[in-house]
Parts: sequence; C-alpha cells; structure tokens
Amino acid sequence: MIRRLWGRLGLRARITGLYALGGLLLSLTIALSTLTLARQNLVEDREERAFSVAVRNAQRVENGLGAETEIEDVGVLLDNLTITEGSFPLLQVGDATRALDQAFDADAVPSSLRDLVQAGNAGRMRVRVNGRPLIVTGIPIPDTAAAYYEAAATDDVEDVLNTLGIIVLGVSAAATLLSAALGSWASRRALTPLGEVRLAAESLAAGELDTRLDPPADADLASLTASFNGMARSLEDRIERDARFASEVSHELRSPLMTLNASVEVLNNNRDSMTERNQTALDLLTDDVTRFTALVEDLLEISRYDVGTASLRAEPIDLVEFVRQSVDHSPYDVVIDVGALQHLVVAGDKRRLAQVVANLVDNAAKYGAGEIRVVVGHEDDFAIIAVEDEGPGVPEAERGVIFDRFSRGSVGGRRGHGTGSGLGLALVAEHVGLHGGDVWVDDRLDGSEGARFTVRIPIGDIPDDEEWA
Amino acid sequence: MGTRILTVEDDERIRTSVRLALEDEGWTVEEAASGEDALNAFTREAADVVLIDIMLPGIDGFDVCRAIRRASDVPIVMVTARADTHDVVAGLEAGADDYLTKPFAPKELSARIRALLRRARSADPGAPQMVFGDLEIIPEEGVVRLAGTDVHLTKTEFRLLVELATNPGRVLSREVLLERVWGYGYFGDGRLVDVHIRRLRTKIEPDPANPRYVVTIRGLGYKLQS
Repeated sequence: MIRRLWGRLGLRARITGLYALGGLLLSLTIALSTLTLARQNLVEDREERAFSVAVRNAQRVENGLGAETEIEDVGVLLDNLTITEGSFPLLQVGDATRALDQAFDADAVPSSLRDLVQAGNAGRMRVRVNGRPLIVTGIPIPDTAAAYYEAAATDDVEDVLNTLGIIVLGVSAAATLLSAALGSWASRRALTPLGEVRLAAESLAAGELDTRLDPPADADLASLTASFNGMARSLEDRIERDARFASEVSHELRSPLMTLNASVEVLNNNRDSMTERNQTALDLLTDDVTRFTALVEDLLEISRYDVGTASLRAEPIDLVEFVRQSVDHSPYDVVIDVGALQHLVVAGDKRRLAQVVANLVDNAAKYGAGEIRVVVGHEDDFAIIAVEDEGPGVPEAERGVIFDRFSRGSVGGRRGHGTGSGLGLALVAEHVGLHGGDVWVDDRLDGSEGARFTVRIPIGDIPDDEEWA
Repeated sequence: MGTRILTVEDDERIRTSVRLALEDEGWTVEEAASGEDALNAFTREAADVVLIDIMLPGIDGFDVCRAIRRASDVPIVMVTARADTHDVVAGLEAGADDYLTKPFAPKELSARIRALLRRARSADPGAPQMVFGDLEIIPEEGVVRLAGTDVHLTKTEFRLLVELATNPGRVLSREVLLERVWGYGYFGDGRLVDVHIRRLRTKIEPDPANPRYVVTIRGLGYKLQS
C-alpha cells in the first residue's frame, strides 16, 4: 500500500521526501544523544554534589549525636546543618524520624533505600514525591543505630533538561524542514535537464524538427543529450526524406501530365470525327486526366509545406473586392455578405487565399446543401472569411480531423474532399496557417442547420507597394 | 505567312503533344530540344512567339530568354516549375513577357499566346501623339522618344506605357493593368506588372530608383505624370 502510494509520487516528491526523512533521522539521533548526554552529566553532577553534601551533613549529625540522644533533641542538630534551598534533611533515630520540612518525611524514603541503609550501606535513589523529582541520599550512622537521609530537589535540572529538549526538538524540526527544502531544490536542479528534454520533445512534436538540446556542462547528462539529439536528427532526416520523396514524385508527375493534357486536348479537338464509343472513352480519359492534374497540383502545393519551401507572398488585398471576384470566378452560385463593410485591406497571398475561398466553396457545394454564403468581417486585428451552407453540418467528432489530408468524414459520404483530391481542406489549413491565422468548422451562427467554415487571418502590416515583387 | 511559334522544351513527348495542340489552333510550330537549338532556330528564322521551358540542359531558359531578348522584342512565354519561387521574377527580368507553370492546359497556353499576338499587332491608328516632359509617345508608329532619342521597348512595355499615358495623372491598379495589357483578370500575378514597370523605368527614367514619369502610388498602383 505504502509502496504503491510511494510509487505514485513524482520523482521530485520522492527525492524531497527522502531528504526530509534523512534529515529527520539524523537530527533526531543528534538530539537524542545530546539530551541523553546532557541528562547524564547534569544529573550525575547533581547527585554527586547532593551525596557529598549529605555525607558532610551526616558526619556532623554523627558527631552531635550521643548514645542517649532522643529524637526530640535532634531538632537543634538539624537546624545547624548546611541546608541549601531545595534540600531536605531527615534523621532517623531508632524507629523515630525527624524531618525539617513537610515536603520530605519518613514516608517519602523509598523502602529499598531504607533497607539498604539499615543494612549499613550508604545509598542514593531518584524518587518523585508529590510530583517533585528528588535525589534521596541515605547514610547509616551505625554507632547510634541512626540514619541520616537527605533529599535534594532536582526540578531545576529537569527544567533545564526540558528546555533543552524543546530546543533540540525545535532544531530537529527545523533541520528536517531544511533537508526537505534542500531535497526539493536538489531534485529541481537535478531534474532541470529533464525539463529541457521535455520542452525539446514538445517542440519536436509540434513540428520544429530542427530542435536540438545544447550540450550540457555536466558530463553525466552528455549521453542523454547526445542520444536525444541523435533521435531528433534521424527523425528529421526521415521526415525530410519522406517529404522530399512526395515532392519529387509530384514533380516527376508533371511531365507526363503535360503530355497527357496536351494529347487529350488534341483528341478533344477531333472529338466530332470519333465514333460514340470512342467519344465516351475520351470523356472518361479527359475527366480523369483533369482530376489527376488537380491532385498533382494539390500534392505539389502541399509538399511545399512539407519540404519547407512555402513562403508567403503578401500584398495588400481588399477582401471585399477579393471575395466578390472569387465568387464571380466560382462555378457555383454564391451569396456574399459583407455587412456594411466597404473595404477590408489585409496583407495576404492572393493566389493562396483564392485557393482557400475556392476550396471552401467547393467543399460547401459538394458536401453541403442549399445556399452557399461567403461572409466577410473583422474582429479586432483579424479578418474573418466564413463560408456557410445549409447542409447537415459537420459532426463534432469530425471537426478536428476534417482538415487532415485525405480525411474521410461520415456525413455526406466524403466531406473533406474540397477539390476532389482529398487535399482541399488540408491545403486550406496550410494556407491559412502560413498567413498566421486559423480555420475551423462549427454550426452556423444563426442556429439554422448547416456548416460554417471560418477563416481568421491577421490583418497584418500592409506591405509597401513594390517590396513584395 | 501564318503565325510561327518556337517551343523550347527538352522533353520530346511534351514537345510533340504541345506542338499538336498548337497546330490545332492553326499556328506553325517549330521545335527546339535545347537552348543551343533554340538560338540557332531563332537566328535562322524569327518566330512570332517563343515558348521557353526554364529547366533546360546546357544553356538554361533564362540565358536563352536573355539572348533572344537582346536580338528581338518577340513575345516570350516561359514555363516554370512553380509560381511562388524566384524563378518567375528571374524569368520576367530575363525578358519574358508572361509565364505559365507546369502542368498547364494547352488551352491556357493558346490564350496566353493570343493575348501576346494581339498586343504585338495592336497599333492604335487614331491615337494622338503624347508628350510628357522629355518623353514622347507616338502610338501610331509604336515609337517612344526620350529627349528626341528613340527608346527601344518590347511590345509589352510599350503597351504598358500607352495604357498609363492614355490615362495621364490617373492611378491604374495592378489589376487594371493586368487586365488591359495581359488580358488577365483580378487573380493575375501582380509581379508581371511590377517587373515590367521596373524594366520600363530603366529605359525611360533618368534615375530609375527615383522615377519621375512612372510613379508608384503606395497601395493603389501606378500612374504616369508629366
């Protein structure tokens, strides 16, 4: 159970915990031995002193005690003893006892000590009378069958020991906390390189394929860094090789496509002289050559992003006019809604934005239904172009993947094939991304049925007229 | 004699199929498989339009373009791999009048060629002579003079200058110039205008870096001022 909990803790928490535990054990050991030693020294010292005082006092009592001295007469004797504060003499003569203070009377003498003294031996014991710690020294005075007892209170020693105990425990606690802090700091320091690895891995995953770790100052980390960088390098090589492959294949396809297109056109110029069968075959050929050309053009376009050669050619574009022109060139009936906007000039790549609008309109025409509307607007520093249709919309589950290449949606069969190549919406996303904007699909804003594809691009700095040429 | 088109393309299959398609338009097509062949063929007999693929073994398309341009103001269409590279600007600066990217439809090529031929043959008979400071434009004769000296312009440059000159002091946007000179619509490539304006300036401006005739109006377009 503890093991499971421990395993579930993070590495940093565990290192911090271990440091704290170590600190606690170490400081407790030191504290306990300190306390024990202090107690021994203080108590023994006190016992020795009490004993020697008692021995001296017993000597005096013995000297003053005659054979016939009655217990009633010993008061004077006791009064003449050197009694420091906190020590209490008690004299026993025969069976009678005489104490100088109520705090220590015959009952307070432990019986084992009494037996020891009666047997003729001096002794001392630690006792607690009415909660007060005392050292009781007993010394036999054999000539007169008497015994002298003296109790010395040791509560001052106890007080000192208690105070010391509190201090030592406080120091232990502080040491434990300090250890924990040290552990936390050390683990953070130790894990800093891991944090860098994490950031680098995230950056790699985000497509920054040239991400590398700096060589560490610490030799222990060099192998981690080296293998990470090695992995990143081979990943980059591989992805670049794949991208180059796609790019090269599409480039290679252009020449045969040129021949195909030109030859099909020559055949079409003579279509009238063909038999009906040949005409049908030619139509099939023409359609597929056209589609194939579109696919290769899209592949070429998108492979520029993969190879990293896509660059934005920004020029000032008035989106209001731009959308009007786009719609005029569209093979579909499209309604424009620019609201009260007269002009909306953005820095954009006209060729790419034209493809964005054309592909979205194409997508709406193929997989939506009803009226297609293109809306132009702006929000803060962003321009908005939205394409709406009155079709079934796009299910939420597909909204994220619809911009993937060759994604196949369920609704409407194959929504997502903007240009019929399967790359239409993927190209839209790439083009919009190149402009520093984003594109998404959701429901129409007015609540009626239909999909709304929204493109949002920064208005950007309008470049100088000839700078972009 | 019919219209002669010289196509320079190293891929024999493309060359043949394009020839067939262009011949269907009623044009005479001469083929050249390399830059050297092209220059020889052009020296032997000038063409009305030249179509050059930029990617050629040996002398590349840019050099062929420059060599032909030095000798002639024949309209040149170049074929580039991609629209968004520097190839387009480099080709236009080498002297091409227009460009297409591979793969293109032959119909598109025919349309480009027709537009270029129209431009080459258009001399405005009734158009009056125009004078802007030292600059003299005689549309009827297709002649431009700067301080009395003839300036040699290509047909496209001349057409561009005349468009600006017939609207003196008015700003013409790239789109308008693209449409009137090249026959492109709104989505034509504005670099065609920019590069040709640049080349025009080097020929008619005393200081092309600080133009006094063909000025840029930021964000709007170009205008000719006297």
